[in-house]
Amino acid sequence: MPRILDVGCGPTKYPGSIGLDMNPSTAADVLCHLDHGGLPFRDNSFDQLRAEHIIEHVADIIATMEEFHRVTKPGGTIFIATPHYTDFSSFRDPTHRWHLNTYSFLYFYPGGMHGRDMWYTKVRMREVKLNLRLLNLWRALGFEFLVNRSRFFRQFWEHYLSFVIRGKLMEFTFEVIK
Amino acid sequence: MSPQPRILDVGCGRKKYPGSVGIDMSPAGQADVLCDWTRTPFADSTFDEVRLIHMIEEVDDIFRVLAEAHRVAKPGARVVIMTPHYTDHASYCSPAHRWHLSSFSLWFFSEKPAEYDYYAPAQFRERRVHVTLLRIWRALGLQFLINHFRWFRKFWEYYLCFVIRGKTVEWELEVVK
Repeated sequence: MPRILDVGCGPTKYPGSIGLDMNPSTAADVLCHLDHGGLPFRDNSFDQLRAEHIIEHVADIIATMEEFHRVTKPGGTIFIATPHYTDFSSFRDPTHRWHLNTYSFLYFYPGGMHGRDMWYTKVRMREVKLNLRLLNLWRALGFEFLVNRSRFFRQFWEHYLSFVIRGKLMEFTFEVIK
Repeated sequence: MSPQPRILDVGCGRKKYPGSVGIDMSPAGQADVLCDWTRTPFADSTFDEVRLIHMIEEVDDIFRVLAEAHRVAKPGARVVIMTPHYTDHASYCSPAHRWHLSSFSLWFFSEKPAEYDYYAPAQFRERRVHVTLLRIWRALGLQFLINHFRWFRKFWEYYLCFVIRGKTVEWELEVVK
């Protein structure tokens, strides 16, 4: 059985995972506040770590990613879902501190900062998959297919189109490099 | 004659609401009381109206400030909140602005899922939401549509508001105790 940690699991924990949340009225197995100290697990404890709609709330994304990276095994995966900064939902919750786009995690990729590694963090991971979702109208018109199919089109969309053809949800799958 | 309503202006700055008690953190304004927004020196259920005008976008924790406003307000009191819409340039003009908000940012006070009691225990009822737009959009009738039809406001928030940009959002909440 792969060991899975669901960070900020809320009331619907990912099946078969260990759930972690700060709120006791959730399905959490472990109560922990991400902004007050690290995760209560040993290094390399999990095959998969999931954080759905969490990263936009934390006080320090880099410190949080360092903890996610530490508890995940080398070659394990980190799954992150978060709103695109052009989505309505990015601004609907008054506890969203960060407004992110599809390049926000380049910070942690080898060579991600214009060909160089970012020197402020030791976290290294690779983007295995990115699924970007758009609103119904834009999906129906084929834009969602294009942004997911072509890196070139995604870049063009981020630079030129995304305030009109707005993004919705980003689902990243990262492979942990140690 | 009924007694004067007691009004609290939280973060009153230099334009304190007429007839209110003003609180602020800076002595440079018209504050009557200098204090922290989350620990005011007033008894429970003191005020008929609490005003938070252009201040929630700057605080550490919006829920804690609203919880304190709820505590000092009487049951059924009015809480008036005004803040820039996240598509307005004013939302980004001040480096003190921590939060960028939309007209649905306080939605959970009226339709709160059970687990949200943990984050936002204070109970309010949303009485009114009012959005203002720039003059050109107002002249074209879009402000009227947004404020008269909730479905249109939602459509505007999802699809239009980076082009037809918002200016301010004003809420009128009722304190439920």
